[in-house]
Amino acid sequence: MDQKYIRNFCIIAHIDHGKSTLADRILEMTDTVNERDMKTQLLDDMELERERGITIKLNAVQLSYHARDGHEYLFNLIDTPGHVDFSYEVSRSLAACEGAILVVDSTQGVQAQTLANTYLALDNDLEILPVINKVDMNNSQPDITKKEIEDIIGLDCSEAPLISARTGLNVDQVLEQIVTHIPSPGGDPEAPLQALVFDSFYDPYRGVIALVRVREGSLKVGDRIRFMATGAEYEVLETGIRNPREVRTEGLSAGDVGWFAASIKSIKNVQVGDTVTSVEKPAKEPLAGYRKMNPMVYCGLYPSDAARYEDLRDALDKLQLNDASLQYEPETSQTLGFGFRCGFLGLLHMDVVQERLEREYNLDLICTAPSVIYHVYLSDGTMLAIDNPAKMPDASRIDHVEEPYVRASIMVPEAYIGAVMELCQNKRGIFQTMEVIDTGRNTIIYELPLSEIIYDFFDRLKSCSKGYASLDYELTGYRKEDLVRMDILLNGEQVDALSVIVHRSNAYKRGSGITIRLKELIPKQQFEIPVQAAVGGKVIARTNIKSLRKNVLAKCYGGDISRKKKLLEKQKEGKKRMKEVGSVVIPQEAFMSVLSRDDEPRK
Amino acid sequence: MSRENKPRALYLHVPFCRSICFYCDFTHRVYRGEDADRWLKALEKELSAKEIRRDLTTMYIGGGTPTSLTAAQLERLLTLLDPYTGSLQEFTVEINPETLDEEKAAILKAHGVNRASIGFQTADEKLLKMMGRRHSFKDVGNCVSLLKDAGIGNLSLDLMYSLPEQTMAGLKKDIEAALSLAPKHLSLYSLIIEDNTVFGKKGYTPLDEETEADMYEYICRVLPEKGYRQYEISNFAVPGYESRHNLVYWHYEDFYGISAGASGKEDHCRYDNTASLKEYLQDPLKKEITPLSKEDEMFETVMMGLRLKAGISMSAFQDRYGISFSEAFSGKAAALLRKGVLVAEGDMLRCAGDHYHLLNSVLSDLL
Repeated sequence: MDQKYIRNFCIIAHIDHGKSTLADRILEMTDTVNERDMKTQLLDDMELERERGITIKLNAVQLSYHARDGHEYLFNLIDTPGHVDFSYEVSRSLAACEGAILVVDSTQGVQAQTLANTYLALDNDLEILPVINKVDMNNSQPDITKKEIEDIIGLDCSEAPLISARTGLNVDQVLEQIVTHIPSPGGDPEAPLQALVFDSFYDPYRGVIALVRVREGSLKVGDRIRFMATGAEYEVLETGIRNPREVRTEGLSAGDVGWFAASIKSIKNVQVGDTVTSVEKPAKEPLAGYRKMNPMVYCGLYPSDAARYEDLRDALDKLQLNDASLQYEPETSQTLGFGFRCGFLGLLHMDVVQERLEREYNLDLICTAPSVIYHVYLSDGTMLAIDNPAKMPDASRIDHVEEPYVRASIMVPEAYIGAVMELCQNKRGIFQTMEVIDTGRNTIIYELPLSEIIYDFFDRLKSCSKGYASLDYELTGYRKEDLVRMDILLNGEQVDALSVIVHRSNAYKRGSGITIRLKELIPKQQFEIPVQAAVGGKVIARTNIKSLRKNVLAKCYGGDISRKKKLLEKQKEGKKRMKEVGSVVIPQEAFMSVLSRDDEPRK
Repeated sequence: MSRENKPRALYLHVPFCRSICFYCDFTHRVYRGEDADRWLKALEKELSAKEIRRDLTTMYIGGGTPTSLTAAQLERLLTLLDPYTGSLQEFTVEINPETLDEEKAAILKAHGVNRASIGFQTADEKLLKMMGRRHSFKDVGNCVSLLKDAGIGNLSLDLMYSLPEQTMAGLKKDIEAALSLAPKHLSLYSLIIEDNTVFGKKGYTPLDEETEADMYEYICRVLPEKGYRQYEISNFAVPGYESRHNLVYWHYEDFYGISAGASGKEDHCRYDNTASLKEYLQDPLKKEITPLSKEDEMFETVMMGLRLKAGISMSAFQDRYGISFSEAFSGKAAALLRKGVLVAEGDMLRCAGDHYHLLNSVLSDLL
């Protein structure tokens, strides 16, 4: 198809502003999906995405739209994640587009991620179409929202459609504006091939499937291609698009968004952000690269069943294909055996990866509490980057320790400023500045230790602001702090997977919080178990798990056998999901217990 | 199946109650006269369709509340059972104190009932009320006299403990009150709050584990001092008065299960009769049958047998399954014996002292 009838775009929005709903409407109104196949939030096809109502994986679909000018247009819609953890994936999808639809909820106005995503899109030179959503709601304020977009972001909103993605109201205007406002892709189909890999996934039968945006040249079945960064060469076996089902095509050319398969077995060879070119007529240079995002949060992942270590490695390999921001390397724990230290963009990302591993790869995992990377300077001047608290060297060898800080921008209505500031102070925050956005709304800027943010900051921020506050943060650097490693001992034995690095001033509070939580989580056993928290070998908190004294079925007569046996089987099953450390049996949740905070009631 | 292999024990479930107790999750319906009449007709059908041996050793009529039936209905029920009672050594009927009168007691005696299990629960009037029970301690006393006067002297009392708001002092009073009636046998059950009970739905919680354990230890210590030997997790008896019928369950022998809501075990199968009275009236033979594998049977033999203080006979196990206990539970059994959790003494294998109170932990290690 002639490039001038192609439009490549994405939808960006703050979380819950209606991005996926608008995508669904667009799919419906372009006759791409017949109603029988229509499930709400079609693009979010991972089970997990649907359940949580968030978009994790970006997804590209091709739609065909009959415009008012009488022409048939091809739309490539690339869905993007909306959560702060996934900004890397947002940047990948943006780079494959010429334009972006900016959805703003007219009941909430401009939010932190509205801004963050818009700036990302502007950085990628995308044409931005503002769209005012949820105008069917009683509390909708479309005029104020428009003015906000103009004042805060500086986008002209005079033509912005007032829509309801839920009911479909005025979505037709959005479709027309995609045609009239978003530029058609450039690129010369005859030039040497330059195709940007913006996503990939693994198919057990066809190997790695790469999702690409062809910038220059063309790509067809039978071509020999090379990944420019990794140097790997393959013969293209299939090319196609998704609508949203996979449809094979003869080839892809400049301007197209699609996929190809080349019987690629080694997933390491397909790096997201790499440029695909032709072996015969190679491009001189790869496309301007992506900025690879670095993980901020680390945790240990171990199979509950040690025999499944290789399965876990396999699953992580495959997951990484889908999720380039996931990093991992093997590690060993005295307590948990062989596993991996994994790096994530944030807590939600960590959660999602864990759940996908358990669900899609049927693994039973033990996850240790998340940690950040600490810079530990030894007396001899060398610096160690520690991503696992258990690896923190002995205090006698340490000169000082630095921890990562972020600059957190919290957008919050006036009424909750006090509560949010109190929260930040409690989390060792350093107040920077406060900006008034408009009447009733402010941005508070704090410097906060990342380690404080990765625990429960987001949840607590939401609860202390009744859901109104939004958070965006970026790493600013490292600062020297008085940090110590706190060890946890069960029945006198140190459990390395439970060690945690804490600020010395918080050690006592954290220590008692953790020991109390462990007491609640670890089931009573046939003997009493002391639970201790220690810093530098000195016990600072202690509690006891009393021994189990009675565990019998009161009544068990002829008619009770099957029911009571099921009960025993359930007990047995529960025990299987626990880890034996020395003589103590520990449930999986216990390894996350270091997240428990003493300063809040338990949920 | 040869006649010799047929069960020698029969359990019959009376699925009616005059009122519903808040802790109960057995099959029960509030008694209505015409339902009970129709139920008796269905029961007659079931009994004649099943080839039940006539030389049974034990029979147990439970419920529900057998004595919720009228005297005439009780008479009819026992008459239906007469053909099977000739060689019974033990014939027990469960009794709710407030539903027994002289006439019913006489009917029981006339048909050979020689043991009664009385729902005592607690002597605390407030707790009884909270449990939805309609009797008082005085009713239990009357009931015991009625039975003794009728000539039924082998009496067992059912008590419950770890009741919401119950105290240790309360439990001690309950035990004293129960002992004052000089029963031959006592069963003491800690309350388990099941979801499908009134307690469960009202969100009652049991006592804390420590208090419950204190109560259990108290019971296990005091009753033997008073002449009641513990022979099972929850059962105590004057020596010689252990429940023979219940021993059939704990020895994992076969038994007939008769009427709606009963379960039985015959010929390597367990069956659960329909729990719905309506279905039972339509088809008294409707049941769900679960075949038992040798592995099932071996585990269940141990699961039931270790409930007995005496434990299980290893030679009986070997005779029954053609494989020794240690082979059947290879590895697992050896570890438990080594740790001293299980003890083998002569032919008997039992749970060691402390571990008897932790039987579930032991069993889940064997599972």
